Amino acid sequence: MTEEKIFSGQEERILSEIKGNKNIAGLHGPKNRAFALLKRVQGQKPVIDIERGLYFTRSFKETEGQPMILRWAKALKYYAEQATVYIDDDQLIAGRIGRSGRYGILYPELDGDIMGDAIGQLPDRETSPFDIDGNDARLIAEEIAPYWKGKTFHEDLIKALTPKTAALTYNNDKDFSSRFIVNETASFRSSIQWVHDYEIVLQQGFFGIRTEMGEKLRQLDPFSPIDQTEKKPFIEAVIIVCDAITLWARRHAELADEKALQENDLSRRTELKNIAEICRRVPEYPARNFREAVQSQWFTQLFSRVEQKTGTVISNGRMDQYLYPFYEKDIKEGLITDNDVQEIFDCEWVAMSQYIDLYISSAGGAFNEGYAHWEAVTVGGQTPDGQDAVNDLTYVLLKSKREFPLNYPDLAARVHTRSTQQYLAEVAETIKEGSGFPKLINDEEVIPLLLAKGADFAEAYDYSVSGCAECRMPNRDTYTSPNAYINFAAALEMTIYNGRMAKYGSELIGIETGEIDTFISFDEFFAAYLQQQKNFLKHAFIQQHEIIRLRANHFASPLGSALHKLCRSSLVDIHQPHIDGGIDLGYFEFIGYATVIDSLAAIKKIVFEDRKATLAQIKEAMTKNFAGYDILRQRLLNAPKYGNNDSYADELGKRLDKEALLFTRKYSAELGVNLDLRYVPFTSHVPFGKVVGATPNGRLAWTPLSDGSSASQGADTYGPTAVLLSNFATKNYQYHERAARLLNVKLSPACVRGEKGTKKLVDFIEAWRDLKLWHIQFNVINQETLIAAQKNPENYRNLLVRIAGYSAYFTDLSIDLQNDIIARTQNEAI
Amino acid sequence: MIFNIQQYSLHDGPGIRTIVFMKGCPLRCRWCCNPESQKTKPEISYDANKCLGKKICNECEKICDAGAIEFSDLHKAVIQRDKCSSCMKCVHECPAKAYKAEGHQYSIKEVLDIVEKDSIFYRHGNGGLTVSGGEPLMQGEFLIQLLRQAKKRRLTTAIETCGYADYPILKQAAKYLDAILFDIKSLDEQQHIAYTGKTNRKILQNFDNLCRDFPKLPKYARTPVIPGFNDSPDDLLAIKNYLANKPETVYEQLPYHRFGVAKYNALGRRYMMDE
Ligand code: SF4
Ligand code: SF4
Repeated sequence: MTEEKIFSGQEERILSEIKGNKNIAGLHGPKNRAFALLKRVQGQKPVIDIERGLYFTRSFKETEGQPMILRWAKALKYYAEQATVYIDDDQLIAGRIGRSGRYGILYPELDGDIMGDAIGQLPDRETSPFDIDGNDARLIAEEIAPYWKGKTFHEDLIKALTPKTAALTYNNDKDFSSRFIVNETASFRSSIQWVHDYEIVLQQGFFGIRTEMGEKLRQLDPFSPIDQTEKKPFIEAVIIVCDAITLWARRHAELADEKALQENDLSRRTELKNIAEICRRVPEYPARNFREAVQSQWFTQLFSRVEQKTGTVISNGRMDQYLYPFYEKDIKEGLITDNDVQEIFDCEWVAMSQYIDLYISSAGGAFNEGYAHWEAVTVGGQTPDGQDAVNDLTYVLLKSKREFPLNYPDLAARVHTRSTQQYLAEVAETIKEGSGFPKLINDEEVIPLLLAKGADFAEAYDYSVSGCAECRMPNRDTYTSPNAYINFAAALEMTIYNGRMAKYGSELIGIETGEIDTFISFDEFFAAYLQQQKNFLKHAFIQQHEIIRLRANHFASPLGSALHKLCRSSLVDIHQPHIDGGIDLGYFEFIGYATVIDSLAAIKKIVFEDRKATLAQIKEAMTKNFAGYDILRQRLLNAPKYGNNDSYADELGKRLDKEALLFTRKYSAELGVNLDLRYVPFTSHVPFGKVVGATPNGRLAWTPLSDGSSASQGADTYGPTAVLLSNFATKNYQYHERAARLLNVKLSPACVRGEKGTKKLVDFIEAWRDLKLWHIQFNVINQETLIAAQKNPENYRNLLVRIAGYSAYFTDLSIDLQNDIIARTQNEAI
Repeated sequence: MIFNIQQYSLHDGPGIRTIVFMKGCPLRCRWCCNPESQKTKPEISYDANKCLGKKICNECEKICDAGAIEFSDLHKAVIQRDKCSSCMKCVHECPAKAYKAEGHQYSIKEVLDIVEKDSIFYRHGNGGLTVSGGEPLMQGEFLIQLLRQAKKRRLTTAIETCGYADYPILKQAAKYLDAILFDIKSLDEQQHIAYTGKTNRKILQNFDNLCRDFPKLPKYARTPVIPGFNDSPDDLLAIKNYLANKPETVYEQLPYHRFGVAKYNALGRRYMMDE
């Protein structure tokens, strides 16, 4: 038989390892340094490092009563003085903010109240476990957690919510764990995903910022109460932070000197001396060459991670843009080669991979399975004057991603109508590698929306991808509060159960929209659903109001503010609700989109058109999880489904989208933000599914909801073009209150084999772009590989899959999520 | 009569294409992977894996006026093909969609409206409409009109043919084509008859004529390589030699696969390659 199986690059690598070929480096030529560094840390269970939590706690004890921004700056300064500094053997990049291997750090200002109890469970929890040293656990329980009890944002928020809102948000247990209905994400991260203006650090250094602030200090009105009580502490805080990061970098220089003295290997000694020189120079002063620029950016983002927990991990911004002048100059002068550049990047990626975003709460863990992280590097796109931005460094970054088998950093490629065929082909080749990179973001959708929200062309063209699918304008965006993730499949359940849910029995959680047998037409039923949907939105927006109000008292970001043009000019901290000239880009999430559409379509078809069942029968079948209702379940499963370019289902989807848009169009102004509709679940469609009983689309109880704007698992039977067209057909392009829709497409490697396959993948990407869809990402993998990996995880430890805007090791995921990924429709070549 | 319209096809012509499968074929290739395309009349295919089984469901049995449905030892529905009148009631009634009607009447407009749904995917890689089958030339008049209208809509067109047809039809169709995929299965006439049921003379004559009348039309000559039929080096070399000087001709060999085997069972037929 000649049924050949085609494998992706990643699959070939793993299969060759299973056959006993351990030399993965051999596959990719002489890159021994970064591979060796990676080998030392890859697959290790992360350990908790308490230094950040401890020094922040100690500093905060000393600064009570002072302005928040000053307290934050002082805590950072204390950290810079006290924390251990690290330079790893053979590393070219200096700096870690935790112990060797993979580490997570503590942010007790967020969850110190539950930290003491939670810490004991971390080593054994199913998703994203962490180890902890016994002595450190004691320090957490005795020193850190007690200080924060009663002071965290989480506790304040719980107190602030009205009972109706709280009932949709939290369980009534001791930790106020998430109910996964109208879920807040503000208490497990202190800001939404963020990206800094790294360019200012490379061009002016913190010395430049400090000088600017010194000037501002002199200009303050000595008699103005605002200047003296609000602006002055801001300026002082920024100056302290500039000094802190400089001091911290210098301590790395000293360490490098010490290590050089003890080093016998001559070439390593030279490297260490170079590192010392670099760390003495940056980030205080402008970078003079590529190596300094990379180190300067790395120090900045690391210190930013110490400052606050941006959900989830600070992004890297447009690396191929701000690093390009340094690269170009060094190449021209013969100081560096493309291989050197790739090695430096690979070293930085390993350093990045050692920091693991630690979520203490179970909700945070469930949202971000598989040690999620989104330190997105953006490549491609357009320059501020609207030209194609791709350069040689873009290609080095793509090449590094193809050749270095690591899921760090997350990589996002911007695509626009004039993207060259070469760029698109290299992007396609990288996708074909099969580890899920890069995800694609569409300039043709993002830029007009940014303009509609008030940005200038130059800012809009220069956006950075941030996190999973957000797009930031680093000197214009000023919104930071995390947002609500709303389980609309629960709203559907409440329409069936008259405001109640299968999981919670008789408790009235939503609103009563009528007993199921009182609806005599589909329109009536649909109207009832829309009332439930609107009720959820109402509470999400109430929640958001309280979050925005309270956060300003709990968090400050002197470093983030120092790197923001508008904060420096208005002398207001980035965490404050209003900053002059800012554009606030927030969002709320529609979770379970296809689950709801398909359920509505099934009811419309089976109950009101084919008249094969009554609503009461459907309710009865749902309560029994379809046991004994196989015939009915089959009818429901075979009703029209979203994702097939079928207007029957898509028109319902468009209506849901529109109703949500109209709500935010009307009320987001009251919050002072653009609260845009998004369809980006992270991994939350799994825990959200766990609270939702059987649904009328035939989905069984407690199984995952549909994911992002993708079709329900396995429901898209007309191929990927139909999935894209359904997405297009359900969007309301007339409104600008929308943001990302996350779209997963799974292709078999045979679909994209060879040069022809690359070309056809490019054709597909270009059609996606022309449809003005926001985001798309691909898993190029054989179904058999996933099934084999589930059976024999030990052989597939390094199998990467795309989840929701990030790639993670398949074997790090819970069984539920693994099954969910397997259940996504695989598109075979036809 | 069309049995399927398939979007996102990557292997039958340039770019991303939509394939319209027409029903009816003059050949009976033993390895055929689309047996549902062979007969001209609509047929019912059935997937026992989807059937809920008699213990749970007998909706099809209840609705069948001809009494053509019985249940197997495994409690799965089985159509007695000799009794079945092809009324299609069971297709509509089955909750699990275990039955599928293979073959629908479409108007040319209906076909092209479906094909055009994916037009945004065609424009970058020169993708478009491919008519396949079955043998599209068997419904010659429909095919020619379909292609003519497709050109009016500025769609790129291709057909996939076994080449066994009357030349005037092929010639008419070729006027509206941007590419043709043409099977050359074997130069050995006896083998050809044994495995496909028909001589290859007409096919080769058609290809020669096509090359003479449409030298500029891109031609993809293709050989499905079938074990025991045409997989010897001599067989394949003979085909290559035959094609050597043909104008605008690209040659491709397609590996044998058995993806169609399940379909034979679904139609209540036997797969000849295993005989
Ligand atoms: S109606 Fe369908 S599911 Fe029911 S017995 Fe017949 S074939 Fe099986
Ligand atoms: S097509 Fe009609 S006659 Fe044939 S099995 Fe189905 S219901 Fe019976």
